[in-house]
Amino acid sequence: MRGSNVLGIARIALLWLAAIFVLFPMVWIALNSFKTSGQMNDPLLLSFKPTLANWENVISSGILAAAGRSAITASVTVAISVVVGSMGAYAIATFRAGGQLTRFGILASQVLPPAVLVFPFLTMAYALRVNDTLVPVIFAHLTFVLPVVTWFLIGFFEAVPRSLEEQARVDGFTRFQAFRLVVLPQVYPGIGAAAIFGFTLSWNDMFYGLILAPGKAAILPVAIAGFNTFRGVELGSMSAAILIAVVPVTIASFFIQRRFVQGISGGAVKF
Amino acid sequence: MAIVRFAGVTKTFGTTQVVKNLELELPEGSFTVLVGPSGCGKTTCLRMLAGLESVSSGEIYIGDRRVTHLDPRERNAAMVFQNYALYPHLNVRENIAFPLRATKVPRAKALRRAEEVAGPLGLHGLLDRKPKELSGGQQQRVAIGRAIIREPAVFLFDEPLSNLDAKLRVETRTELLQIQRQLGITSLYVTHDQEEAMTLSDRMVVMEDGRIAQAGPPNEVYTKPVNTFVAAFVGSPKMNLLEGTLAAGTFHSRGLRLQVDDEGEGEVTLGVRPDDLMLSPAANGQAKVTLIELLGPRAIITLEAQGVHLTSVVNASELVSISVGSCVDLVIRNGGAHLFETATGDRREQG
Repeated sequence: MRGSNVLGIARIALLWLAAIFVLFPMVWIALNSFKTSGQMNDPLLLSFKPTLANWENVISSGILAAAGRSAITASVTVAISVVVGSMGAYAIATFRAGGQLTRFGILASQVLPPAVLVFPFLTMAYALRVNDTLVPVIFAHLTFVLPVVTWFLIGFFEAVPRSLEEQARVDGFTRFQAFRLVVLPQVYPGIGAAAIFGFTLSWNDMFYGLILAPGKAAILPVAIAGFNTFRGVELGSMSAAILIAVVPVTIASFFIQRRFVQGISGGAVKF
Repeated sequence: MAIVRFAGVTKTFGTTQVVKNLELELPEGSFTVLVGPSGCGKTTCLRMLAGLESVSSGEIYIGDRRVTHLDPRERNAAMVFQNYALYPHLNVRENIAFPLRATKVPRAKALRRAEEVAGPLGLHGLLDRKPKELSGGQQQRVAIGRAIIREPAVFLFDEPLSNLDAKLRVETRTELLQIQRQLGITSLYVTHDQEEAMTLSDRMVVMEDGRIAQAGPPNEVYTKPVNTFVAAFVGSPKMNLLEGTLAAGTFHSRGLRLQVDDEGEGEVTLGVRPDDLMLSPAANGQAKVTLIELLGPRAIITLEAQGVHLTSVVNASELVSISVGSCVDLVIRNGGAHLFETATGDRREQG
């Protein structure tokens, strides 16, 4: 009895520690975004007259447009990844396409340093006159989002009983119809989770965006980094920009994830 | 409505032949049951007919249409899987109506038609439920409803009752038979349960190792098994099979002697159904009762005679004079002796 009590307290203490570890920087950033640069030199200053100067500065700098571009990039990347990835994952799960090697080999691209890929992308973007647009950024993001989404979905497709698809085929549907109308709905929760995960990966990536679209098509992380100017880091503005980057995605994933967990228990396959 | 025909169908997986040169015809409106131990190729046959498994050689016909290489959807067959394969994301009404979505039937009409089909199956109040909210028996009915809504040319059943409990299995079996008789749709049913096969089929096909061991009316398969495999597989409790010699109307096996109504001679295997092995209490009888299992009106008696184990089924009323340890004489009921060649296992022609 006592042992389990101690264990329970230790567990809760550990969770609090983890929460503080994650939340502390966020709170610090949030406070900073309302401080003047003078006040920022006093990190322990908790009661102060908040200023909106940082936020005004950030918003007038076009950060919202950059956030919009990031959203477009992430959405298109995720949309392509989900469509192509679910078909790929289905093939790997059902036909063992490419054997055991594909299953894990598909993640091999993650080992490749982005620096290796980015210059070919840059030269191609130049040649095609699409440099400093979102097009090369989206293609670059696909190199890491698509494999992860595919790999993630393989297990979900494997959990769908084969007889469901066979039933649909006997019931008069083509193979693709059986996939779309019967198999796919069983993995919606997985697709949702993969989409959130892929979206976050794309949303947070700065490297490709910085090199492939550094100018007028800058995405959010690049725009945030822009506050690191030759006059020094504009900490206040950067803090406000970081909040703009983090908060909406966190809130969105929280709600979407809740819906998908519901989806998982609601559509459970039981025979 | 169709005559289904397998013409020399062979199926090979890698180097193993699981179905060997199958010749089988399902007469129009018949209920044929493929039965055999697991791994005998019966499910493969069904799946080849459905189009879910390719045919290595030979042809399959439904009616006068050669369907060997057609897609499953073009064969107009309806199938009920062992796990029912209900679509988890659709409710009962949508599940039953689903096959009509493949045709050009408008959605509203399809759903109305599904309700008509669901009625006689006792699914009225369940139309808006999801499959996981149904009991096994109800799921089974939804699967049947989905199969009949299309009015298919052939019904295919892959062990549809094996996931139900014993009581429900017997009930559903009867319902299934009634539905099939009403609709008169040619049916092929696969099971490993010989009792199910006996009760359901008007034609029973016993398979052994990818080949048909015996095909015919269940009564004929039961009363005239063509070899020891069929003899042992069909009937419960299992037929007694004894190796020995036959001479002058007496069968000898080790020390055991039994009177057999047969003029033949030589090495034979004698088969006697437990129901045909009659016991009469006798102080110096050649068999001893070792176990009695009461089934209600009848009882299974396990006997030992000269190191040979035998089973008999008797009326419970006879237990008055029989108990564990008592000695009995054995008599084979007239016409109850089946003789097989010991070497080949084939049924011996009556001499």
